[in-house]
Amino acid sequence: MRAENYQARHQPPSNEYELNFGPNHPGIEGNYALKVRLHGDTVIEAKADGGYLHRGFEKLMEQRLWIQNLALVPRICVPDPAPMELAYSTAVENLCGLDVPVRAQWLRVLQMELSRIAAHLFTFGGHAATTGMYNPMYWGVADRDVVLDLFEELTGGRVYHIYNIPGGVRKDVPDGFLGRVASTLDYLESRLPDYDNLFFTNQVFVTRSKGVGTLSQQQALELGVTGPNLRATGLAFDVRRDDPYLVYDQLDFDIPIEHAGDAWARTLVRRAELKESIRIVRQVLERLPSIPGPIRAPIPNPLAWNVPAGEYYARVESSKGELSWYVVSNGGARPYRTHIRGPSSMHAVQVLETLCKGARLEDVAQIMFSLDACPPEVDR
Amino acid sequence: MSNEISTELVCPDISQWLCHLLREVDGVTHNNRFDRRQRLDVASDALPALLTLLQGKGSFVHLSAISCVDWIKENEFELVYHVWSYEMKVMVSAHIRIPREPGRYLSVYDIYKPAGFFERDIFEMYGVYFEGSPWMEKFILTEWDGPPPMRKEFDSESWVGDHFDWQDYHPDWLKDIEAQGGGIAIRPEEQRFSRKAKDEC
Amino acid sequence: MSDIDYKDKGSILNPLRALAFFGRKPITEKLAPRKASERYRGFHLNDWEKCVGCSTCQKVCDNAAITMVKVPGLPNDPVKGVRDLRPAIDYGRCCWCALCVDLCPTGSISLSQEYVHTCTDPELDSYFVLPDPNGIHNQHFPAGWSKESDNDLVDHQRQPMAELEPSLRIGDFSEMVSGYSKQQAIIEASRCVQCGMCHDACPTRMNAPEYIRAIWQDDLEEAVRQIYRTNPFAHTCGRVCTHRCEDACSVGHRGEPIAIRWLKRYAMDHVAPERIRAIVTEGRLSDKSGLRVAIVGAGPAGLTAAFDLARSGHQVTVYEALPKAGGMTRYGIPDYRLPAASLDRDVEIITGLGVEIRYDTHVGRDVSMAGLHDEHDAVLMAIGLQFGRSTRIPGSDQPGVYRAVDLLRDIVLGKPMAVPSRAVVIGGGNVAMDIARSLARLQKIQHGQVGITLTALQPEGHFPADPEEIKEALEEGIEILPARGPQSVVLENGRVIGLETARVMSLLDAQGRFAPTYDLDDRQIHSGEWMVEAIGQMGDADAILGTELTEQLEWARGRLQLNAEGRTSLSWLWAAGDIVNGPDVVHAVADGHRVAASINAYLNEQVKQGGTRHE
Repeated sequence: MRAENYQARHQPPSNEYELNFGPNHPGIEGNYALKVRLHGDTVIEAKADGGYLHRGFEKLMEQRLWIQNLALVPRICVPDPAPMELAYSTAVENLCGLDVPVRAQWLRVLQMELSRIAAHLFTFGGHAATTGMYNPMYWGVADRDVVLDLFEELTGGRVYHIYNIPGGVRKDVPDGFLGRVASTLDYLESRLPDYDNLFFTNQVFVTRSKGVGTLSQQQALELGVTGPNLRATGLAFDVRRDDPYLVYDQLDFDIPIEHAGDAWARTLVRRAELKESIRIVRQVLERLPSIPGPIRAPIPNPLAWNVPAGEYYARVESSKGELSWYVVSNGGARPYRTHIRGPSSMHAVQVLETLCKGARLEDVAQIMFSLDACPPEVDR
Repeated sequence: MSNEISTELVCPDISQWLCHLLREVDGVTHNNRFDRRQRLDVASDALPALLTLLQGKGSFVHLSAISCVDWIKENEFELVYHVWSYEMKVMVSAHIRIPREPGRYLSVYDIYKPAGFFERDIFEMYGVYFEGSPWMEKFILTEWDGPPPMRKEFDSESWVGDHFDWQDYHPDWLKDIEAQGGGIAIRPEEQRFSRKAKDEC
Repeated sequence: MSDIDYKDKGSILNPLRALAFFGRKPITEKLAPRKASERYRGFHLNDWEKCVGCSTCQKVCDNAAITMVKVPGLPNDPVKGVRDLRPAIDYGRCCWCALCVDLCPTGSISLSQEYVHTCTDPELDSYFVLPDPNGIHNQHFPAGWSKESDNDLVDHQRQPMAELEPSLRIGDFSEMVSGYSKQQAIIEASRCVQCGMCHDACPTRMNAPEYIRAIWQDDLEEAVRQIYRTNPFAHTCGRVCTHRCEDACSVGHRGEPIAIRWLKRYAMDHVAPERIRAIVTEGRLSDKSGLRVAIVGAGPAGLTAAFDLARSGHQVTVYEALPKAGGMTRYGIPDYRLPAASLDRDVEIITGLGVEIRYDTHVGRDVSMAGLHDEHDAVLMAIGLQFGRSTRIPGSDQPGVYRAVDLLRDIVLGKPMAVPSRAVVIGGGNVAMDIARSLARLQKIQHGQVGITLTALQPEGHFPADPEEIKEALEEGIEILPARGPQSVVLENGRVIGLETARVMSLLDAQGRFAPTYDLDDRQIHSGEWMVEAIGQMGDADAILGTELTEQLEWARGRLQLNAEGRTSLSWLWAAGDIVNGPDVVHAVADGHRVAASINAYLNEQVKQGGTRHE
């Protein structure tokens, strides 16, 4: 680690000082640094400093066969890996012209929505911790654990599912699984009042987050904000509705919005989305038993698989916003280029820097968590 | 609160409409493989005008990403600007080519603010300098002194092989097998399909 | 958002409601690791009985985590497609993606429900494990993620080969199989996992993985180049080889093996002869050694040796007793399996290298071996097994009783043959099937219907013939009777009218030697005017060699004594092919290579010692 990367960026006047917020800090989601210049308690300037989680996925993926990349892909976004798998598989399917069977699409929706629920629970936990409320943090992580149990049963892995494969999914639901999902959803819904009491309606939290990190809709659109952050400013844009993929056009769900655009609004949007995801999963549980069919379109021998030349821009709605993958093939056995655009590329960098300016030091962590800025997606 | 937004394209003749709009810019070719993905190929000096047009008249206010593809055999970089319209619900990808040397282009930061992040990413990964962008500095690779790593000529596998030692294991079961005349027969490096990438792309 | 009552009921006292948790039962997590789910991706298990050491898992592992280790004591039989290699896994690199499980051709590797392993730094070696069925800590955890049809990524089905249907093909000798189209060939070639078992199992050690890959890449000239590295009889072998490669193919353990033989045929058929000629002359030595080699017999063994020796720069002359080259491949294999034109293509490539073939020249009659020795520096005897064995049952010496090899030769020579409307074939091997199906076709042409009964000693399912041959023979209307042993030829007024057989009770005696026993109470008579014996072949080396040489040479139990390189006790004489190994075309090719290498070394020695016998 080079010393010069840890020095102050300027020689500040005597009433200012520069603070390294991160990379190891409970107020930072993941490993990330924010260099804040403070005048007393107020942040004058914030500069994001990433790279601690750079694993070089884009280069790695160019050196592996199309099938081998499946194992790498979920690891790009740590809290919410499922949309990454979906985006890669979708891109490859469109390049190859593979038709995903209907049952596989429903199973993918199940996986995506459960992953969204797990990611939101994780975020609530982390967000509560930034305000010093550790009880909801324990709850958030523990309740996420019961969703991870479901994933373990369905896919064989708790966090990195490696469940999607170009053409469909790898295994069908085990016996009795749908019943267990239903009871887990019942459990999670029964927990929401507890979260409301300790977190969402807790006056401490409301006071700490109302009016903090306010984004106007105009600002949000200019800065390329997507996902719950954009919906908190009043624009009901969701990739699932406006650029539909899988079977979302057959599902009944609302796009919750708020108008204030502050940390409070963003949190509420996520809470409402959690309920919508539960609603979507219940619809899937109802429909799934009556959908027959294979769960995977056949692919050639993975060791001898040349994907036709071309390119595709795949977009999915992850729990954090719009996740896009640009995949280019030159007709070979390996991707020629995969460019991953995580939603946090905007949120963790430009938006964070803009919102932190003028904020108080104690609000910096609030702002980051309310934006749900996930550094692994930024660094790749 | 929630909008009943139909999933059909708001303007079914989206390609026609786009064609019409694009007549105001020279040298654009248009091709669409999928309904919501329109591809435009344009000369590199016409791109800023195209983006301004798309943003202004075309309601394409959202820059989703700028991707760079290194076509080393053709000695060019391809820059792809993906823009999305909330009203038309269509993604337009504008492709330009710039020569690999000197690898410089104009920044579109003044048109789309998110370009700052992507141009900085392409700058440190590919070495392409975007004139006019205040973001031309390293962000992720502040500890890296080598060449821009995403360029095709940079062989990251050899670099790793040169700079790190692989773990050498010698457990008891292997010693027993070697005592009986067996032992390691095929190392993973000999079978790595990635090794064959050198002649393929 | 009307269901959230935050807006109305938020209060500083709300959190106190959490005190209710004191009244609730706490959730207790046990300290010991809990049981994983049924398809958990834990540590590896490998069933060593099923694992064949093909190393496909190693190829698909994206983290290069798998090392193949040779474990002594395990079966290592290339012909059965089994190697004594087993995968060892580096858990520092493995990410438990289970692609190895999905792609394993035999289904031996799986992931278990075990997931806990701890060690200190000095114990880091424990991260490198050799999975077996017991698990890495010998605690017998059940299997987690294993191969099921959903996640099986191996393509088990072979591309179907189009063939003429029985009613169409029975009327003539046109080739039965149509060959793969380009799309089929590329898909079939893509199924290959490049394990190399085929290479190990083939007697010629052919570079099949390389030519299959070349076909997949649609580079047919490269495929031909790879094929010719080991086999100059590829048009022929691509049709009639006994395909040990396919028997060893690892995909064949649970699915259908790659159609390696049909792919070879595809590549050879789709490259123009001029291009093949050009490819074959690559790497050829241009200097002539001035030395001369004589080869007796223009069959696969002889011509393969001729090919190699000509490319090494020696002058080769082949003496062939029959009017055309090919030996058993021309005169023993019917046209519907191997058209003469395909065989001609192989022979033309070889003669195009400057090999001279003298046809209708019978060594031992038109020219003597001693004479060959005078004119040439080395002689190779590759005369094959031209004679059929006889059952020697009563009546087998009568006219009307034939040997299959003689009839097959006569058919190819074009001799007019009036086949009877009923005939009986004795034997269960490929030659029996060949003669039965050839006679069936002639019967259809001459009489309008098929009347062949085939009897074999072996029980059903144990015939030495290829299962495809038997299936096709049945489709063509041939009656096949297993487990029947010939007892005598039934004669009436001096003419053959049938064959008497008895049921076979057992074939081998207690020591495993061939000693059939019959149930003489269960006899049948099969009517037919011809009895065709197809029970084995023999050669007549003495007639070729002549009495003097026969006495000079060393023999062992009726066979020529040869060293490991195929050389006889006379320094200038080698033997190769069926006469040495028994009937099999690909073994003959392998043999041809072997003796050619030996002859070449001997001749080069002669050149170095500065003297050739003939300038």
